[in-house]
Amino acid sequence: MGAMKLNERSVAHYALSDSPADHTGFLRTWGGPGTPPTPSGTGRRCWFVLKGNLLFSFESRESRAPLSLVVLEGCTVELAEAPVSEEFAFAIRFDAPGVRPHLLAADGPAAQEAWVKALSRASFGYMRLVVRELESQLRDARHSLALHRHSSWKAAGSCCKPQAPDHRSLGLENGHSPSKDCSPMDLVEERGSRPAGQGLAEWQGPASHFLGRRQSPSFPETSYFSTLHNWYGQEIMELRQRWLQRVWGSQPEREKQDGP
Amino acid sequence: MRYNEKELQALSRQPAELAAELGMRGPKKGSVLKRRLVKLVVNFLFYFRTDEAEPVGALLLERCRVTQEEPSGFSISFMEDPERKYHFECCSEEQCQEWMGALRRASYEFMRRSLIFYRNEIQKMTGKDPLEQFGISEEARFQLGGLKA
Repeated sequence: MGAMKLNERSVAHYALSDSPADHTGFLRTWGGPGTPPTPSGTGRRCWFVLKGNLLFSFESRESRAPLSLVVLEGCTVELAEAPVSEEFAFAIRFDAPGVRPHLLAADGPAAQEAWVKALSRASFGYMRLVVRELESQLRDARHSLALHRHSSWKAAGSCCKPQAPDHRSLGLENGHSPSKDCSPMDLVEERGSRPAGQGLAEWQGPASHFLGRRQSPSFPETSYFSTLHNWYGQEIMELRQRWLQRVWGSQPEREKQDGP
Repeated sequence: MRYNEKELQALSRQPAELAAELGMRGPKKGSVLKRRLVKLVVNFLFYFRTDEAEPVGALLLERCRVTQEEPSGFSISFMEDPERKYHFECCSEEQCQEWMGALRRASYEFMRRSLIFYRNEIQKMTGKDPLEQFGISEEARFQLGGLKA
């Protein structure tokens, strides 16, 4: 191919790796080698594999070498006017000068719909958006839970303070001192005040009730509240750390499996 | 493997997560360190000659490993051939850490694992599947089983 380099062997390796494919199936395609450049006739039937934001085609289901790659970024997927014999066609269009759309056709309406849906949600940006939304929902859920728990202890009577030292010592055992000015706390505070996702409506009840009482000048335990708040922030940090360890800890294992 | 260079060039013009001039040395024997504009756009790392608009090349950042290299550099290698390393030289230790962090988060597979982790945690806490509101709770790529791969 042209002048621009791509780590093609790694790309092909990823295409065949055991990480899950997001969608697979036979599609007809036009414009590749061995087919006329303009959409006519029945095209060529190939096996397609969607993996993340990459769409690969193969000669057959068993083939080990991808024929083509389309990176699904900055494109739109829409139903297309098909060549005469193809009813269930769709096109991947790029908003770039001189780039022809990729015309593809499924075997039936259900497959066509599934492909259009999968391809139009395949971009990295979409994935990142969902991950960020869930990240903030988890923060909100933890935040609300912390407030909820505290308000139930309060309701049970003001003699429940012994719980606090327990939590604090738990934090210290894990080797983290509860620092008041750690930045993840600010994040929790900030996210906590923004409107929460719909799925969290039931968590908002006790939380907002509690927040109302906290604002009243006669409420005596504001300092205790901040300790508790800190502790839950810590739990999130630990959770993140464990998660990072898990994510990165699994890497060497996979490397062994895939070793040369 | 066929791909349209113009599509990749268009992607290289998209907003970058991170961009800087770094020293870069390819995996071939005898390669020398060259000054390159390096741009991270989604899960692709593009590199440009400093006086050209179109990229010299791109690396897909899936199934790769980012390793710190002395004194203030890092390397990227890919699982199918871990000995082939792309070397990068940064201006400072700080810049090096910033790049390594961003590159490690840049793979689609990393995002997928994050998503499944958050989904599972939220479900445990609230009893609700947070993906239902997006209408994507049935999608195969977001299922727990995918984690093992």
